[in-house]
Amino acid sequence: MPEIIWPHHELSVEATLSALHLQTSFSLHAPWTVIFGPSGSGKSSILRAACALIPKATVDFRRRTSDPPKFTTEDLQNGTVLGALVTWQSLTQRPTHLRALAYAPQHAALFPHLSAGDNIRFPSQVCQPPTKDSALVDDVLELFKLHSLADRMPTQLSGGERRRVALARAFAVPNCRLMLLDEPFTGLDRKLRDELLPRMQAWLAERKIPALSVTHDVDEALLLNADVIRLEDGRVIAQGPAQEVLAVERERLLQTLA
Amino acid sequence: MDFAALGLTLRLATLTTLCLLVLATPLAAFIARADRISARLLQAAIALPLVLPPTVLGFYLLVALGPTTMFGRLLIHILGHPLAFTFSGLVVGSIVFSLPFAVLPLVLGFQSVDPSLTGTAAVLGASPFTVFRRITLPLARTSFLTAAVLTFAHTVGEFGVVLMIGGDIPGITRTISISIFDQVQELNYAAANRTSLVLIAGSFLALLALYARRSSRGDANA
Repeated sequence: MPEIIWPHHELSVEATLSALHLQTSFSLHAPWTVIFGPSGSGKSSILRAACALIPKATVDFRRRTSDPPKFTTEDLQNGTVLGALVTWQSLTQRPTHLRALAYAPQHAALFPHLSAGDNIRFPSQVCQPPTKDSALVDDVLELFKLHSLADRMPTQLSGGERRRVALARAFAVPNCRLMLLDEPFTGLDRKLRDELLPRMQAWLAERKIPALSVTHDVDEALLLNADVIRLEDGRVIAQGPAQEVLAVERERLLQTLA
Repeated sequence: MDFAALGLTLRLATLTTLCLLVLATPLAAFIARADRISARLLQAAIALPLVLPPTVLGFYLLVALGPTTMFGRLLIHILGHPLAFTFSGLVVGSIVFSLPFAVLPLVLGFQSVDPSLTGTAAVLGASPFTVFRRITLPLARTSFLTAAVLTFAHTVGEFGVVLMIGGDIPGITRTISISIFDQVQELNYAAANRTSLVLIAGSFLALLALYARRSSRGDANA
């Protein structure tokens, strides 16, 4: 009998945006979840709503705070696990900065008055209590190979470099419980992406930080071997392993390669 | 050239500017952020001195600071003397009169900061106050310079309010613009001319410095 997999976060969002009515509700249970959909389907808005950055959205957002209880569907049928409790914490009423999130927005949004290094140090300087430990920042600089660029100002960076700094800044959030990445690899060349992606995955897995990313790239979703939430016109039309949910796209991709 | 009046005016303008920058920052931050009707009411009230005749403002300030109102009596009780016809009274009057010149540039400055930057900073763990201090303030720093220059220049040039609540007491409330008025009254056009030229040169240099700085920043960003 299979073990029950408990979600670590649950998120529902309802919002009327300029040309789109967004109405979604889903659970995150995989280490990496990808929201996949064409542009304009409301992908980025879901991330922004989770960060409480869309004022008029109705959001329900909660996080599992206990370890998943270990039992199988058989135990459940036998009624032997009635006492097992899963505790949840609602993030809906919490102000953005207390949600223990990290976020790399689509257009990098680097702080223009701070150097790349200071952008990356920002989260550890502003967290409460502030951390003097620079190990996390050093790790992140190493992970994204940004040591040589740390002293540059954002205007002195190329598009791809800015994107890497934005990713690094998100990874440098201390005590992060969910990583939100909006089109993390757009603007990076394929070689760099293929190199960074497994390193980022390993880094997050080591620290048990789940990720929720947004992409319109089939290849990327397959490469991440992620749980895919398929979005169309503001609604979830499928959720499951990338291989299944993106089977049609995968076939098409393989045919063009053949 | 009335050097006592010039010194007094510079002292008044400096004090007013410093007080106003401190006072205007939280007001501007509130107006820039809030969509509520309360923010619009506050903004309209702050902008009032822009359109009001200075004598109207001066008259009400004179009454408010005097012994006929609760506030005035409280002030007199605390200070031991009325504020009207004193230098402190001038500072209070100038602060009210120049308030829009400090607040409005700051509101524009704060509103010009990209909300995606402040939003991202919040998600990365910065409290609203930290976001303001670490992101909004440094990115809006040129608007502080604008606010300071406008407030200073406006205070140097004020006349109606100063005359209403300060009178014309040499060394205490006689500012440079009142001094010019006195010189003209005495038909001493040469003296009035000299004083006025000093003021024109000072104002022009201040504005020149402001715009020169702005355009050099623009070049650097381009």
